[in-house]
Amino acid sequence: MLTLTSPVETPFHRVPAGAKLLALAGVTVLLFSMGDPVMLGLALTGIAALHLVGGLGLLRHGLRMLWPLWPFLAVLLAWHLWTGEVRDGWAIALRLLAAVAAANLVTMTTRLTDMIACAERLAAPLARVGVPPRRVALALALAVRFVPVMADRLAALREAWTARSPRRAGWRIIVPALLGALDDADRVADALRARGGTD
Amino acid sequence: MSVPSDPLPASGPDAILLDGVSFRVAGHEVLSDITLRLTERRIGLIGRNGSGKTTLLRLIAGLVAPSSGRVRIGAVDPFAERKAALGQVGILFQNPDHQILFPYVEEELAFGLRQGGLSNEAALHRAQAVLDAWGRSAWARVPVQSLSQGQRQMVCLMAVLAMAPETLLLDEPYASLDLPARMRLARRLHGLEQRVIVISHDPEALAGMERVIWLDAGRIRRDGPAGGVLPEFAAEMAQEGARDADADLAG
Amino acid sequence: MERSVTHVALFAALVAVLGLVPALTLPGGVPVTAQSLGVMLCGTVLGARRGALAVLLFLGLVALGLPLLSGGRGGLGVFVGPSVGFLIGFPIAAFVAGLVVERWSAPVGVAAAAGAFLGGIVVLYPLGALGWALMLGKSVAEVQVFLLGFLPGDLVKVGLVALVTRALAQMRPGSLLSRG
Repeated sequence: MLTLTSPVETPFHRVPAGAKLLALAGVTVLLFSMGDPVMLGLALTGIAALHLVGGLGLLRHGLRMLWPLWPFLAVLLAWHLWTGEVRDGWAIALRLLAAVAAANLVTMTTRLTDMIACAERLAAPLARVGVPPRRVALALALAVRFVPVMADRLAALREAWTARSPRRAGWRIIVPALLGALDDADRVADALRARGGTD
Repeated sequence: MSVPSDPLPASGPDAILLDGVSFRVAGHEVLSDITLRLTERRIGLIGRNGSGKTTLLRLIAGLVAPSSGRVRIGAVDPFAERKAALGQVGILFQNPDHQILFPYVEEELAFGLRQGGLSNEAALHRAQAVLDAWGRSAWARVPVQSLSQGQRQMVCLMAVLAMAPETLLLDEPYASLDLPARMRLARRLHGLEQRVIVISHDPEALAGMERVIWLDAGRIRRDGPAGGVLPEFAAEMAQEGARDADADLAG
Repeated sequence: MERSVTHVALFAALVAVLGLVPALTLPGGVPVTAQSLGVMLCGTVLGARRGALAVLLFLGLVALGLPLLSGGRGGLGVFVGPSVGFLIGFPIAAFVAGLVVERWSAPVGVAAAAGAFLGGIVVLYPLGALGWALMLGKSVAEVQVFLLGFLPGDLVKVGLVALVTRALAQMRPGSLLSRG
């Protein structure tokens, strides 16, 4: 399954997921308590430097992940420029970049299996409301497993449409895709039950 | 049994041409340098799983474009000229559940006709005509859900034939059918006026074909009359089956 | 129990896959994605509780680092980014949509449309705007005008949710878990 984790090993890959998440939470709280664009700029530079510890490739990967933000940042800066709040505008923009970059750094340096294991640990309190953490981990793993299955089915339906129509496939293919999902859900439930259930 | 359709041109369906066709996906070459001129009326495509048979069919149907080389049906490029292609070639996929788009049989049959420009009324009318010709007039308002696998495949077949293509491509049509359903399908296919190209990994299914092409790892291994190609294929498969070679992982 | 888990998991996968469908771009540069369609369908098909859980699971997958948000986005970064309001709003929107279909005994298409409208617009938009407001440092009143760009696309989606949910109910009566 294609994830956003960087395939290139970095020192951060070896740090336990829980520790990284805790650090991230701390950094995020810190960032949102700062208001000075200069300090935030320094923070952003620091985070970029952390990326470099993991290699140039990691920095490039990080920049690519930040790219989708540019329209929002453009609107942000333009708006604040227009209302004469340039300083605030820069503060918000830099804070946003820093927070997102820090979060993405954790994502890029943590393998999926480690994340799922960490999620299972974080879900421990749910046991008190009757949700076993094993079930949460299972649900996550099942969903991951079935994303390509669903994608293949949707692609097959789209081809079946293209085979009979010169137009692009429309919303109608969602119906058989949904039915397929419901059928798969029944089949997998049987398989689970046959192997001891979800917990 | 023939289906009411526009009469085929006196010279028969256009020849299907593949010229130096290769197909690569994710760095892996699925088909390598395929050159074929298909004019026979009953053609079989045989090969092991993963040999490129389905890809070849999809190239002819115009669902994908070749990575290199050309595919032509007559003068038409099936990938680029979809509207023209739809009149020349229809394709039936392996699993009816991955093809049927609509809840009721008549809608499913009418779909391609509407997409081809007919009004809703005209399309439904023709759909009913197709059902009548196949002796299934009562199927019009039946929910697809209530049909068996073999029946669903009939719906898919009728839906494609309703568009009166000159060539019909079928990908492993016998795979999920029981023996009687298989026999019925084989009979119907042989009665069709159009050119039929069938993929199967089972030599018995292709015994009646005029020409059989054996694909092996993306290349043409043998190409000739069924009587020549099929026994050789069966022999090789028997040899393969005697060995424990499937412990090897691909690539 | 197993069926609940698998329904939730498979619909989470479906929402993910609908995010992979290329978005249409309306005049004005606003992307219309199939993903929010999937979110509403979780509610109208699975019902309020399981629908919301499916969407939550989907968000969990995104948080784990899978690029399943429209445009191939994912990871923890999206939760501190501009669309955070919408992300938090998604499971709530699914819940509301499901609740309407479960509780209102109108024909399923009508109920699904009402649910999708209430969930996907009435509830989701303010939450999305709140997220924008926090991220832009402006007030909700100032940012809400940007929502108008999404309205036409989302209204079309309300209709599609109704059509798809109804088609499902017709094609296989009893398959709608929201209607038991």
